[in-house]
Amino acid sequence: MEKFFDPKSIVVIGASNAPFNLGATICNMLKDYLQYAGDVYALNLKGESVNGYPGYSSILELPETPDLAVIIVAARNVPGIIKDCAVKGIKRVIIESAGFSEGGEDGKAMQREIDDIARVNGIRIMGPNCLGTLSTRKKFCCFYGVNPSLVEMSQIFEVPGNISYIIQSGGVAVLVMESLYYDVVGVNKVVSIGNKCDVDEADLIDYFQNDETEVIGIYLENVANGRKLMDAAKISRKPILIYKVGKTPEGAMAAMSHTAGMANNDSIFDSACKQAGIIRLQSIDELHCLPKMFTEMPLLKGKRIAMFTNSGAFGSIAADLLVEAGLQMVHLSSQTQEKLKKAGKAFNIKNPVDIGPAPPQTYLDIFEILLAADEVDGLLPLLSVWQPFVIDTLLELMKICKRYDKPAAIYTANAIAKSIAIRAKHRIPIFETSEQAVRALSVSHAYYESLRKRNFISAPASSVASGHESNISAWAEAAS
Amino acid sequence: MITISALKKDKDVKGILLKASKNGQQALSEYESKLVIAAAGVPITQEVLVSSRQEAMDQAAVIGFPVVLKGSSHALTHKTEMGMVFVNLKSREEAAQAYDELMGKGIDLDGVLIQKMVKGNREFVIGLTRDPQFGPCVMFGIGGIFTEAMKDVSFRVAPLTEEDAQEMISEIKAVKLLDAFRGEGAVNREVLVKALVGIGNLGMACDEIAEIDINPLIVMEGLPVAVDALVILKAQQA
Repeated sequence: MEKFFDPKSIVVIGASNAPFNLGATICNMLKDYLQYAGDVYALNLKGESVNGYPGYSSILELPETPDLAVIIVAARNVPGIIKDCAVKGIKRVIIESAGFSEGGEDGKAMQREIDDIARVNGIRIMGPNCLGTLSTRKKFCCFYGVNPSLVEMSQIFEVPGNISYIIQSGGVAVLVMESLYYDVVGVNKVVSIGNKCDVDEADLIDYFQNDETEVIGIYLENVANGRKLMDAAKISRKPILIYKVGKTPEGAMAAMSHTAGMANNDSIFDSACKQAGIIRLQSIDELHCLPKMFTEMPLLKGKRIAMFTNSGAFGSIAADLLVEAGLQMVHLSSQTQEKLKKAGKAFNIKNPVDIGPAPPQTYLDIFEILLAADEVDGLLPLLSVWQPFVIDTLLELMKICKRYDKPAAIYTANAIAKSIAIRAKHRIPIFETSEQAVRALSVSHAYYESLRKRNFISAPASSVASGHESNISAWAEAAS
Repeated sequence: MITISALKKDKDVKGILLKASKNGQQALSEYESKLVIAAAGVPITQEVLVSSRQEAMDQAAVIGFPVVLKGSSHALTHKTEMGMVFVNLKSREEAAQAYDELMGKGIDLDGVLIQKMVKGNREFVIGLTRDPQFGPCVMFGIGGIFTEAMKDVSFRVAPLTEEDAQEMISEIKAVKLLDAFRGEGAVNREVLVKALVGIGNLGMACDEIAEIDINPLIVMEGLPVAVDALVILKAQQA
């Protein structure tokens, strides 16, 4: 699988000098933009070279057996090409062309032909109808039609990150990557799997267990093998976030029982996610806004949240959201309230803690008091203030979170534009709405619970009320 | 309630399924369905299949009044609508009369089922379905005649852990019905969990079973009891 993302040599089948040739856009990106170090061959009818990459008219003529073949020609020519790949001994093929199982009976017949050749010859296939792979660390990308002048794309390669995406549709892949440009965590790898006739999301979840990936984001349009996906997810030591479209009432067809009549594909997918420890996303935006909660903050080990705000209104809004998300507004102990009183400046020493104008040190003192409190599992700071020192204060807050192994979901009400401008540079996980911040706490806790259920971490002494007493070293082990 | 401990579980279940498929049945009769789900761990009504008027009266007396009489046949999947159910029969005479009426309907029956009348205010449903992508899945929810109107149900992909079963029970909106309710005690969750896990395992073990409806599952004195059940078999290849 590694060589799908880091091939030492590649042939682009269908790259030519014809106007608007899609294969050529792959060659151009590899050469002019990524300065890809491996060997690239162009394959076209005339055998002409493309942007300096040597051209051939037959796979059999290539001077070596490339690690990877990328096919972007009309569907009807693909089965013949796969046969040639087999003769040449090529083991990895990405079929970017469309028009197979989604393209009627002829397409389906061609798909079966391809499957047979691949199976007999031990060839792994990605696609068809996909964009293929991208690796920021290896500076490799075989997406077609990507315009290298896009600033956002260049950012993605310059600052490799730790999220890997498995995206069924190519268009969504580019959308998610662009959004990340403004966010905290960067991309490790992206793969668009299209019709997934062979390599599917489960294979890639397995593969991402052993690289720099810390969070796996998935966009799915259909699940071909639900059991395989569940099995891969159950043993994953990295959070899996899935956004799935296509709520189909398949189960209702031809059902004789009431049970089958009420079952629909979507509610069963939902249950499968719960059982396998998959976090099911509510919107496509969550694919890029939630991963930072996992990469930058400790997990939320209980449900009791302390809120800290300098605006009572935001406190009330978020309190409703917390309860709706199944989390709890913590009841602060009298000791904690006493400490808050001593810290000064507090209007309200009960949850939500509310303060008036105060120097940065007071904020830090309160962060510390709340995160140190045994009854608090996590913090929701809603800070409606912006001064240059806020950056340092938030960086300090992140250290306090690490020290107490409890997360904070930071939301800077009324200063969002300023926060977005600085968060990537300083790596501060700031959320853009109180909904996002609450959701981040909720998915963090859901993932913690899934680790516990799968016995990846030891269970807390008693259920909800004592999440903070869990075995921290065991958790660190599981997360490493 | 009997849990049919006499049934030699797996072997007998396979035997029932094999016989039904040899007969070309699309579904099991209620009686056969209950034997199968009982073997999987679902408590069922105390019941007996009879084939004569005299037997009906005698067995009704043995079970104790009030009883329910139902026509039994694998072809009968909507018994109530077809007038094949007589409830709350309080004497030998009432049982005998119901027997005559059932036999007089001109429907081919393999017998008449005599059941203990189970009374309770809370009705749940347990089901099994096969998802094209995820395979056998278990359903739990609010049962009775409003099942499909309310659609207050939850699913889990089989096999289920006990924790899965606990979670799916807690997931329905009307979860409060599991607690003490209008003078009746809380539902025995342990029994419910065992039933859900058992139905999931049954789905994993028996490919011949396409779908199962256990509805209603009535709570009597805290114990959930399957009052009706339907096991649907996979369509056979011609």
